[in-house]
Amino acid sequence: MLRLSSILFLLFYLSFFVTRSQNFTISGTIKEKKTGELAIGATIYIKEVKKGTTTNNYGFYSITLPKGNYTIICMYLGYNTQSDSIQLNKDLVNDISLVQTGVEMQEVVVSGERPDVNVKSSQMGQVTLDMKQIKRLPAFMGEVDVLKTIQLLPGVKSAGDGQSGFYVRGGGPDQNLILLDEAVVYNASHLMGFFSVFNGDAIKNVTLTKGGMPAQYGGRLSSVLDITMKDGNNQNFQVDGGIGLIASRLTVQGPIKKDTSSFIVSARRTYVDVITKPIFTHLKSEFAGTRYFFYDLNTKFNYRLNAKNSLYLSGYFGKDVFLFKDNESGFGVETAWGNATASLRWSHIFNSKLFANTSLIYSYYNFSFSALQDNFEFKIFSGIRDHNAKVDFSWFPNSRHSVKFGLNYVYHIFIPTNASARSGETKFDLGDIIKLYSHEAHAYLGDDWDLTDRLRINAGARFSYFVHVGPFTRFVKDPFTKLTDTVVYSTGKKIKDYHALEPRVSLRYELSKSLSLKASYTNNYQYIHLASISAVSLPTDVWMPSTEVIKPQIGNQYALGVFKNFKENMFETSIEGYYKDMKNLIEYKEGAQPQDNVKDNPDNSFTFGRGEAFGAEFFVKKREGKFTGWVGYTLSWTNRRFAEINSGKTYFAKYDRRHDISLVGTYEFNEKWVASAVFVFNTGNRGTLPNSLYLFEQSVNVDYGGRNAYQFASYHRLDLSATFTPDRNKQLEKKRKRLEKRYVKKGKDPAQIVLPKKYAKNFGHSWTFSVFNAYNRHNPYFIYFDTKGSILTGDFRVQARQVSLFPVLPSVTWNFKF
Amino acid sequence: MRNNLNNKFCHVERSRDACNIPKRGARTSTSLGLTLVCVLVVGLFYSCQKNIDVNIPDYVQKLVVEGKIEAGSTPEVYLSYSVPYFGNHTQNLSDFAVKGAVVTVNDGITTDTLKDISGLGYYYKALNMVGVSGKTYNLTILLNGKTYTSSTSIYPQVKLDTLWFKVLRDDSLGFVYTYMTEPAGLGNSYRWFAKRIGKDQNFIAPLGSAFDDKFIDGKSFEFAYNRGMLQGSTANDDNNNERSYFKLNDKVVVKFCSIGYNEFRFFRSYDANIISNGNPFAAPTNLENNVHGENVLGVWCGYNAYYDTLICK
Repeated sequence: MLRLSSILFLLFYLSFFVTRSQNFTISGTIKEKKTGELAIGATIYIKEVKKGTTTNNYGFYSITLPKGNYTIICMYLGYNTQSDSIQLNKDLVNDISLVQTGVEMQEVVVSGERPDVNVKSSQMGQVTLDMKQIKRLPAFMGEVDVLKTIQLLPGVKSAGDGQSGFYVRGGGPDQNLILLDEAVVYNASHLMGFFSVFNGDAIKNVTLTKGGMPAQYGGRLSSVLDITMKDGNNQNFQVDGGIGLIASRLTVQGPIKKDTSSFIVSARRTYVDVITKPIFTHLKSEFAGTRYFFYDLNTKFNYRLNAKNSLYLSGYFGKDVFLFKDNESGFGVETAWGNATASLRWSHIFNSKLFANTSLIYSYYNFSFSALQDNFEFKIFSGIRDHNAKVDFSWFPNSRHSVKFGLNYVYHIFIPTNASARSGETKFDLGDIIKLYSHEAHAYLGDDWDLTDRLRINAGARFSYFVHVGPFTRFVKDPFTKLTDTVVYSTGKKIKDYHALEPRVSLRYELSKSLSLKASYTNNYQYIHLASISAVSLPTDVWMPSTEVIKPQIGNQYALGVFKNFKENMFETSIEGYYKDMKNLIEYKEGAQPQDNVKDNPDNSFTFGRGEAFGAEFFVKKREGKFTGWVGYTLSWTNRRFAEINSGKTYFAKYDRRHDISLVGTYEFNEKWVASAVFVFNTGNRGTLPNSLYLFEQSVNVDYGGRNAYQFASYHRLDLSATFTPDRNKQLEKKRKRLEKRYVKKGKDPAQIVLPKKYAKNFGHSWTFSVFNAYNRHNPYFIYFDTKGSILTGDFRVQARQVSLFPVLPSVTWNFKF
Repeated sequence: MRNNLNNKFCHVERSRDACNIPKRGARTSTSLGLTLVCVLVVGLFYSCQKNIDVNIPDYVQKLVVEGKIEAGSTPEVYLSYSVPYFGNHTQNLSDFAVKGAVVTVNDGITTDTLKDISGLGYYYKALNMVGVSGKTYNLTILLNGKTYTSSTSIYPQVKLDTLWFKVLRDDSLGFVYTYMTEPAGLGNSYRWFAKRIGKDQNFIAPLGSAFDDKFIDGKSFEFAYNRGMLQGSTANDDNNNERSYFKLNDKVVVKFCSIGYNEFRFFRSYDANIISNGNPFAAPTNLENNVHGENVLGVWCGYNAYYDTLICK
C-alpha cells in the first residue's frame, strides 16, 4: 500500500514538470456575443490531441499544450460551435464570443468525436441545467422555478405539494448548500415552498452537485446548488418582463459602459393582496387588512477593469409578508421572513495558468412573528447572519492537471428563537436575547488529474475548523428538563471547537469514447444545523451552530456510475449507485414544543442519531433536436436511528421513497409553438399516524404508532405547457403589406412606409399556457381522523380523511422583451 | 367542505393561541402554520377532502389511566383500554372499559383501595381517603398480573384576583378574563377548567389549559380563556358560531388548580396530541405519561383547586 502511494505521488509530482519546457498555454474568456454574458461550463476542445476543458464560473479557461498547430473548438449548448486554427508557439490569449443559434438543430456539427462532459469529466452526480430549458417546462401558476426543476432529477426529491425544501440522496433539507453568486441562501422558498426565491429572469446558470462533491465545496453533507446570476447585457439595453396570474416580473439590464461594465436589476412581486384588498373593503369583511405577498429583487453590477481584472457586485433581497386581522375580536398577526445576500467579487487573472477570485459575502435570514389581541402582545424572531471572506484559485499547470485551492472564513451570528410578550404593563420574562457566535474556516486543495488518457482522478481534501465563542448563556437542565443552573461565557471565550480533514476522491475510467466508469468517495463535515420542530420545514425552523451539545454532522458518500452517450452525444445516459452514512443528525426530542426554544438553548431539546441512505439512479437525456427532455428513475432507501426516537428502533426517514420517476419532454413544433410536459410518479411520503384510540377526560383521542410507519398513497401528476411566440418578422411583413396596399390605394410611394413605434424591431413577446395537475389527481397532503358522536351514547365513529391541495390548475403568463 | 377545514384550523388556532395568554408564546410555530394554512387552503386555492381507508400498522393495546386526587376530595381513577382504529364502526364505552383492576392509593401512612362502584369497570373511586395539600400520593394498579405505578403531590392553592367577561364578537360572545399574581419562585404549574351551570355536565379544560411559570414567575398579569369543548362534541353550541365562546348570561364556574411539573408536562403533551390530529404542520405527539408500567399511558394528578363563579354580563 505504501509503495503504491509512493509511486502515485512520484507520478503526480513528475506529471507537473515532465514536459514543461516545451509547452505553451492558451487561455481566455468565453462570452455570449449579443449580451456579453460570460459562458459558464462551455467546452473547449483541441481536436488534434482530443483534449478538452470547460470554462469556470467566470467564463475563464486555460489549456497547456506542446508547441504546434491546433484546431480549437468551442461548444456551448444553444450556441453555434466555433472552430479556430491556432499556431501555438507562445502563450496565447484567445477570447471567444459565441453566437446564439436560432434553433438548436442548426448547430454546426463538428466532424470527428466530440467531447462530452457527461462521459469525460471525473465529476459524477452533477447536473447543469439550461435556463432556456427550465423556462419552457410547465410552471406552477406560471412561475418559473429552478428548485422545482431540480426536483425532477434523479436522486433529488421534493417534499410534496406545498412544502419547502428538497432532499438529495436521503439527506435532510439543511444538508443542501444553496449558493446565489456564492452567497449562502438559508431559506430558498416563498410561501411555504410553493415558489422558490430564485427569479428565473435573473439567473444564468444552475448547477447541482449531489455526489462526489469536489474540494472547493464544503460545509454540507448532501448537495451544492450553485446558482449564478446574469451579469447584465453589456452591449445593449434590454427589458424583459412577464405578467402572470399571481406575480409579475420586470428585468432591466444594459451597459454602463459598453464592453466594460453592465448592470441588471430584476424584480418580482405577487399581487393577490392588491386584488383582494378592494374585495375585503367592499364586503366590509371583518378580515379586512389580511393580506399576503412576497417580492424579490436581484441586482448585479460588473466592471471589467482591464483584461485581467473584473469586479462583480451582486445582491439579492426577498421577503414574505403575511398579515392577519380579525377586526371584530381585535386579533392580529404579522409575520415576515426573508433573505438578503450581497457579494463583492474580484476576479483576477495572474497569468494564463492562474486564475483567482476573491469574494466578500454577506448573507442574512430573518424570521419574525408578532401577535396582538387586546392588551396582549407577543413577538418572536430568529435568524442567522454570515460575514464571509474567501479566495479561490484555479491553476492549470499543464494539460494534465487542473488544480483548485483556496481559503474561506465565515463569521456566523445565530439568533435562535427569541421572544417577548407583554400583557398591558406587565412584561413576561421570556429571557434575554440569546445570540450564538461562531467562526468557521476552511482550506482546500483539489486536483483534476489525467493520470493516463483513460484514467482521470479528482483528488482533494478540505481542512475545516469551527469554534463556538462567547458571549453565551448555557441553561443546564436535569433529565426531567427542569433548569438546574446557568453558565455564562464572556465575549470571545472559546466554548467548543471542532476540526476535521475531509478527503474526497473521484475517478473516471474511459472504456471507449462514449463510455466511462466513475467512482467517488466524499467525506463531509457540517457545522451548522437546522432542526424542524414541526412535521415539515417551516420558516420558523431555527439554524444552530455546533455547540458543546451539538456535534458536527459527518457524512460519507460512496458512489459508482456508468456513463454512456449515444448518437454523437445526442443522448446522455447514466446509472449511478450510492451509499451514504450520516452521523450526528439532529431532531427535536419527542414531545418538544416551540416554547422550549424560548428562554432556553434550543439544543437542550435536541436529540442526535444516525442516518443511512442508498439507492440507484437511472438517467436518460436527449440533449438536442426538436424533442428534448429526460427520464429519471430513482430506487432508494433512507432510514434513521435515534436512541430517543421511536424507542431507539430504526425507522424510515419521512422522505424515504422507494420509487421516484420523472419524465420531462419539450417539443418544438416550429418557431412559434413549443410544448412541454412533465410527469412525476413517486412512492408516497411516510408519516406517523395514529394506530389506536384512547379515552381521556370524556374525549376520544388518538395514540400514534411508530415513527413514519405509515406510507401515504403514491404521488403522481402530469403538467403541461405550451409557449406561443409570434413570429415578429412575419408580423412585420404582414403589417408592411397592409400598409403597402393602403399606400398604393392612396397613391403614395410604398418606399416611404414608416411602421408605428410599437413595431420597433426589438419588441418581442410570448404567451405561456400551462396546466398543473392535468388529470386532476388528488395527491395526499395530509390525513386526519374525524370523530363523531360519543362513546357514552354508543354512536362514536371515527373516519380517516385525506386532504389534497391542488386540483387541475390552469394558468397563463405573458412575457415580453424589448 | 372548504368551510369545514377553515373552521377546523382557524378554530384550533383561535382557541389555542388567541386566548390562553400564558401559553401564547408557546404555540407560535403551530399558530403560524395554522394561520398560513387557513389562508393557503381557503384563500388562495381550492382544496379537496375525501374519506379513505387506512391500514394501521403495529397496534398494541395499552392501559389508559386518568387518575386524580383533589384537595378535599376522594381519589378517582378512570381505567380504559386503547382500541385499534376501527374504520367506520360505532363504538361505546364497553369497548374501552377496564374491569377487575385492583387500584390502591397510599399517602405514606395509609392505603385505600378504590372501588369499581358501578360494577361495569372504568370508574374506580376511593371511599375513605381525602386529598390534603402538601401530601404525596402513590398510585398502584394491579391488572392481569401486571403492576402500574405513579406518584403525585398536592401543591398549595393559588387564587385568581377577579373574573370578568368581555364580549368579543356578535355582541354576546366572549372569553372569561382574570388577573393573577404568580407566586415568586420557579416550579409552579397550573390547570384551568370551567363549567357553565345548566349547560355543561362536568368541568371542561380548554386546549392549553395547563401552563407553568417559566415565563411568568412572580408576575402579576391579566389573561383570558376561551370555552373548552369535548373532542367530537355534537352539541349545537360547539358547532355553530358560539363554539369556543362563553355567552352573555352564562353562569360560569372556574376551577383553577395548582398541579405538579410532570403533570403539567403530561397535559401539555395531551394538548399537543389533540392539536396534531389533522394538522400537517404539527409533529405527531404522544403523551408524556407519569404512570409507569408496560404499555400504559395516562396521568395521576394531584389538584388543589380555587373555585370562583362568574355571571357573564
